[in-house]
Amino acid sequence: MPPEPTHGSPPLLEVEDLHTYIGQHHILQGVSLRARRDAVTVILGRNGAGKTTTMRTIVGLLRPRAGAIRFEGRPIHGLPPYEIVRFGIGFVPEGQGIFATLTVDENLRVAMRDESPESRDRLPRIFALFPALERFRQARAGTLSGGQKQMLSIARAFVNPNRLLLIDEPSKGLAPIIVEHLVAALQEMKSQVTVLLVEQNFAMASALGDDFYLLDDGRTVHHGRMVDLVHDHALKKRYLGV
Amino acid sequence: MRRAAPILAAAALFVLPLAFMDARTYVTLTVAGLAMGMLIFLVAAGLTLIFGLMDVLNFAHGAVFSWGAYVGFSVALLLNQRWGWATAPSVTLNVLLLAAAILAAMVVAVGLGILLERVIVRPVYGRHMFQILITLGATIVIEELIRMIWGPNDQVMPVPLTFQGSWDIADVIVLRFPVVAIVLGVLVYLGITLLLTRTRVGLIVRAGVENREMIQALGHNIYRYFTRVFAAGSALAALGGVMWAMFSQSVRPAMGGEQLIFAFIVVIIGGLGSVTGSLLGALIVGLSYNYVAFLVPKAAIGINMAIMVLILLLRPTGLFGSGK
Amino acid sequence: MTEARLTPVQRARQAERGRRFRQPAPYLRLACLVLAALVPLVVPSFQVLDLAAKIAIFAALVASYDVVLGYTGIVSFGHAMFFGFGAYAVALSLGKFGAPTYGHLAAGFLAGVALSATISVLIGAFSLRVKAIFFAMITLAFAEFALILAVQLTHITGGEDGLSPTLPGIFAVSYEGGRLGGIPVTGRLVTYYFILAICLVLFVVMARFIHSPLGRTLQAIRDNELRAEALGFRTFVFQIASSSFGSVVATVLGGCYVMWVRYANPESVLGIHVMLDLLLMVIIGGIGTLYGGIIGATFLLTSQTLLPHLRTLAASVFAGSMVMQRMTERWLLYFGILFILMVFFFPKGVIGTVRDALARRAPSPSSSPPHPDPPARGGCPTR
Repeated sequence: MPPEPTHGSPPLLEVEDLHTYIGQHHILQGVSLRARRDAVTVILGRNGAGKTTTMRTIVGLLRPRAGAIRFEGRPIHGLPPYEIVRFGIGFVPEGQGIFATLTVDENLRVAMRDESPESRDRLPRIFALFPALERFRQARAGTLSGGQKQMLSIARAFVNPNRLLLIDEPSKGLAPIIVEHLVAALQEMKSQVTVLLVEQNFAMASALGDDFYLLDDGRTVHHGRMVDLVHDHALKKRYLGV
Repeated sequence: MRRAAPILAAAALFVLPLAFMDARTYVTLTVAGLAMGMLIFLVAAGLTLIFGLMDVLNFAHGAVFSWGAYVGFSVALLLNQRWGWATAPSVTLNVLLLAAAILAAMVVAVGLGILLERVIVRPVYGRHMFQILITLGATIVIEELIRMIWGPNDQVMPVPLTFQGSWDIADVIVLRFPVVAIVLGVLVYLGITLLLTRTRVGLIVRAGVENREMIQALGHNIYRYFTRVFAAGSALAALGGVMWAMFSQSVRPAMGGEQLIFAFIVVIIGGLGSVTGSLLGALIVGLSYNYVAFLVPKAAIGINMAIMVLILLLRPTGLFGSGK
Repeated sequence: MTEARLTPVQRARQAERGRRFRQPAPYLRLACLVLAALVPLVVPSFQVLDLAAKIAIFAALVASYDVVLGYTGIVSFGHAMFFGFGAYAVALSLGKFGAPTYGHLAAGFLAGVALSATISVLIGAFSLRVKAIFFAMITLAFAEFALILAVQLTHITGGEDGLSPTLPGIFAVSYEGGRLGGIPVTGRLVTYYFILAICLVLFVVMARFIHSPLGRTLQAIRDNELRAEALGFRTFVFQIASSSFGSVVATVLGGCYVMWVRYANPESVLGIHVMLDLLLMVIIGGIGTLYGGIIGATFLLTSQTLLPHLRTLAASVFAGSMVMQRMTERWLLYFGILFILMVFFFPKGVIGTVRDALARRAPSPSSSPPHPDPPARGGCPTR
């Protein structure tokens, strides 16, 4: 089902009928979605529905076999990841992807695409969001707790003046209290950046999300406003098992 | 502390040979062992970084080492035949000769390295088997080119007068060239460490060694860094080649292949991707080789294999391996 | 059992069996065998017989290497070492314990096989458990170590000079078995057919091995190690089994080689050149084809036999040109370039490339559907 154009401002990110293979396996078989500017779009779906593959394809770590990805109207599919993210995309991968042998500070510095004053100016804002990172600035990232690693990973994507953040399952493996902290931090970031979020934790997804897209078997099967989904018990039960 | 324990145990093992020999022999052997270790380190450092960053096992590294040795040999020969820079009793001229030989070897190696990376390695990224096969094919070609240009036989490397002979320090005979090699090795290690920890390129390379995918997703073109690392690693191999040629006072077309095996053992001991691990592994190999060669000459080669197997048993990913 | 009751695997096997005799490959293999069997009867030249025997041995050796490289996807630089183990074990057993008997010969083979099996399991256990890439490095180190040992342990191995054992009974040079149909039956002739028979048996065993469930599991591991691991296979155990199998076959062939040349020294059976030859042969013939070794060995050994003649020719044509002389001396250079070009442009070797071409021309309806994601280049992606 092709997504209808959402009213309001034109979408920041547009994904159209994406097909991606991993090895010989046809993982994405037609994913389409749009991320509205200044909104949080959540990708929902069961395990193996293709959520992470969608994220990795958008950021260029996987090459789509067919379909289109446009960022601010510009086609970005087929470009290498290091060119794609330079258009203004921050990527927070599943499992954080932090550099464990580097210090927290080095993790942030390596994420700055150019160590410009502008990026440096963002540091205080980041430390205000995640005070723990400032405290452990000189510690090796591998010694951080799971929640702190997740914060570092998000901070790393936020250190550049990105217009879009791709965040893949930030709550995975974290204690509920930590998840609450994360939600609060992401709520605050929401006003400054567009977010595309993959989230299994429905409470977190519904707290943050404005729009949702439902994937099943590598296809977009449903989309709409998050508020509508919260009350659509039949749909939730069918695709999410909640 | 758990990390320090095996290192301390290893250090204790290196005092052990003292029980079987007099102190003067021990010092001589230790200097020779450290020098040998440092020279192997020069080869292993490039190998380990190239592997760590791009998962490329470069079998052609040894051939680059040989090329470096031969280029250095030609330069040294030329300078000595024309102006007698090696035989002249002048420290300045002697050092200049060494510097010129090293510089020429490194320049050629950088070119060779870039060529290898672009033409041979790049088309087969991510496919280990083809990488190994193709770099091996390149090794054959590069080594045969040496035989074609310089001839297949051993040749005598001119060694500058200053670095010949030995110093006699408190009745202990210390050969001069090994000391030069040790100093150079320490400088190179410090240089690499500073480069990796104090510069932005180093930061990106270290991060790339740990997670190649993520560094690209942060906007860094890893291939550009890899070409640089490949070129730098090749330059180090060439430096090792010149130094080894002077150390052994000869050049042979197959010298690189033999060094490569030492370097592999060192890289496995130290852990793939770790420069510090390589240094430690190289020193272990160099020292134990020299001690054992003195005590039980025939077991000298075996000791390195034994150490490698032992370390793999205790720490399958090597001393500083990440195990990724 | 009806067609519908068959599992997909059974159906595929049935189709394969049905196709088997309609393809040219089995007939070509048979032709190779007949040709090799006819050589001593038709061509009375020792040089040709020598070449044929070596081709048979190396074809089987390349096939055994292919089991490790092509069908298991791990690079070993120790294959020549296992070949050398066999050669030295047989040479020592025949030469060091009094007058050689058949018992000595058999004991030599058995000792070599036992040694190789032990060493290859050990190497595999150390390296494959961690990282398949370690295997390449460690086998290289072991091979170098074995070479040095063979050179240094002069009192056992004869050092650089090596060993020249004499063979017992019907294999002995002095053996005369009368005439059979007008052909004089000599020790050489008996040895030749004995070796040919062993090579044939080994080929059959290897073909059974790669088509066995174990062999198919290995190919699954080669193609996708993670998936195989997820399916519950302890991949490194399978890889150890396969590399040990290949090593043991190589050991037997090393013994055959010594029976033929009656000579073993470090350079000829353990040296890096044996390994390089092997690699060239497997690349030329085709990785993952098993029978590619026949083509690779024939090409390389024949050209190596002819090269000295070529060189004499070149020397007479370009008399006095130092550069020309050096260029013709360095024939390994051209093999190296050939090697690189093969890996880049024909990574499947002669057999693989021909197979692909045939498959393209006559796509059989029963063959599997086109691969959705053909590897960019080459038949054996090891990720």
